[in-house]
Amino acid sequence: MKIPISLQINGEMYQVQVPVQKTLLSVLREDLALTGTKNGCDSGECGACTVLMDGKPVNSCLILALDAVGKQITTIEGIGGITELDPIQEALVAHGAIQCGYCTPGLVMTAKALLASNPHPTETEVREGIAGNLCRCTGYVKVVEAIMDVSRD
Amino acid sequence: MLDLNYWEPGNLLEAVSLLSNLGEKARPLAGGTDLLVKMKKGPINWSGIVNLKGLPELKGINFEGQTMTIGALTPISALMANPWVGVHFPVLVEAARSLGTPQIRNLATVGGNLCNASPAADVALVLLIYEARLLIMGPKGPRKVPVQEFYAGPGQTVLEPGEILTAVEMDVPPLNSKGVFVKHGKRKSHEIALVNVAVLITPQPGTKQIARARIAVGAVASTQLRLQEAEESLSDTVVTVDALERAAELAEAAVNPIDDVRSTAGYRKQMVKVLTKRALQEAWGGEL
Ligand SMILES: Cc1cc2nc3c(=O)[nH]c(=O)nc-3n(C[C@H](O)[C@H](O)[C@H](O)COP(=O)(O)OP(=O)(O)OC[C@H]3O[C@@H](n4cnc5c(N)ncnc54)[C@H](O)[C@@H]3O)c2cc1C
Ligand code: FES
Ligand code: FES
Repeated sequence: MKIPISLQINGEMYQVQVPVQKTLLSVLREDLALTGTKNGCDSGECGACTVLMDGKPVNSCLILALDAVGKQITTIEGIGGITELDPIQEALVAHGAIQCGYCTPGLVMTAKALLASNPHPTETEVREGIAGNLCRCTGYVKVVEAIMDVSRD
Repeated sequence: MLDLNYWEPGNLLEAVSLLSNLGEKARPLAGGTDLLVKMKKGPINWSGIVNLKGLPELKGINFEGQTMTIGALTPISALMANPWVGVHFPVLVEAARSLGTPQIRNLATVGGNLCNASPAADVALVLLIYEARLLIMGPKGPRKVPVQEFYAGPGQTVLEPGEILTAVEMDVPPLNSKGVFVKHGKRKSHEIALVNVAVLITPQPGTKQIARARIAVGAVASTQLRLQEAEESLSDTVVTVDALERAAELAEAAVNPIDDVRSTAGYRKQMVKVLTKRALQEAWGGEL
């Protein structure tokens, strides 16, 4: 059974036909070619698939595309741009907080939501805030510094 | 390939009648953080999903007199965001903070944590010490079940086909009560508990006695447990190191954990004793 739905992503409406079990992550990547959102574990553990749903960070690998109908979804493609990076992206670059980069889109989304709800977090709050974004490369120190830097501006 | 059916009922009665007609063939969907993981892992013995999100009856946190009611669809993060929950049920907030990751907490619901019936569930464990009552709606009408009577085994509840958990209600404990939640895992965050313990003690004002103690443990038996014997050993008792030690020993004796990939039964049993004592000591706070 395929069901026609409309999804609101980065302010635009997209029409797709989805089988019931298809996740928002798969629809983003396979049907809409929004491949900035990554698939790390496909089971809620790593945060690489983080998108914002009505402003809150969530694991898109654990959401049925059908369940995202009526919500405002923001992906990494909806943040900054190739010529105009978001301040969080700029800070990550400036701090050398990106190595392989696989975790980065999810991390940017989480940091974005964190700073929107708490513009001046403590270091502990930043660490707790990004606890759901695993990074196998950086060891987090530079990531935390970068986010703290944005919060000071 | 999986071929699932999907429904989005618009009110509670519609959802109940759908689920009772479908019986074992369908599962309710709340946040999906357990259900989707199971669906992906497979095999599954159901073929339809009934999304509960359109049911206003399952939403919101309300206070009325001394009773708080939490809708089953309330996300775990909403427990942390609501200041009144923190004032009256601080241990619930502790457990919420320990559950999963920020992203998971925005999806995972209170009702899902209960209905999934994992012996390691964190928020559900704390509902035991607050003696929560579960509000259930089904084809035969509404009923209320105390949380300690809700579980039938690992992953199993007393919910009948067609029944939906709608809300959880609990009374504010006496003002001088103090609770503690301890979650033991291999890592600091982001982990299912190897053992978790929740205690709530109510001191006898002006004395060194505990009037009443409540102790609940998780991940050490086929369901989460209230430890009656350990609790009773403390009621109307002067608090001493020995008294707490005895309660912790009774706690250890009452559990029946298993060996699995994450830990051994022996280790879990010992940790029940250690953590129960630690939690009681911390909750008592004063000198011993
Ligand atoms: C990465 C990760 C980390 C996790 N960490 C923790 C943790 O630290 N501690 C912890 O306790 N849990 C943890 N969990 C498990 C899970 O997030 C929680 O159990 C959560 O509360 C489940 O809620 P849900 O709304 O997502 O449930 P769902 O997956 O939607 O539902 C779970 C089950 O309950 C049924 N159900 C749901 N709502 C109702 C209802 N109202 N009436 C009847 N049946 C219903 C569903 O049919 C399903 O069988 C983790 C999960 C993941 C993926
Ligand atoms: S891909 Fe979703 S959390 Fe890892
Ligand atoms: S930079 Fe490689 S996983 Fe984070």
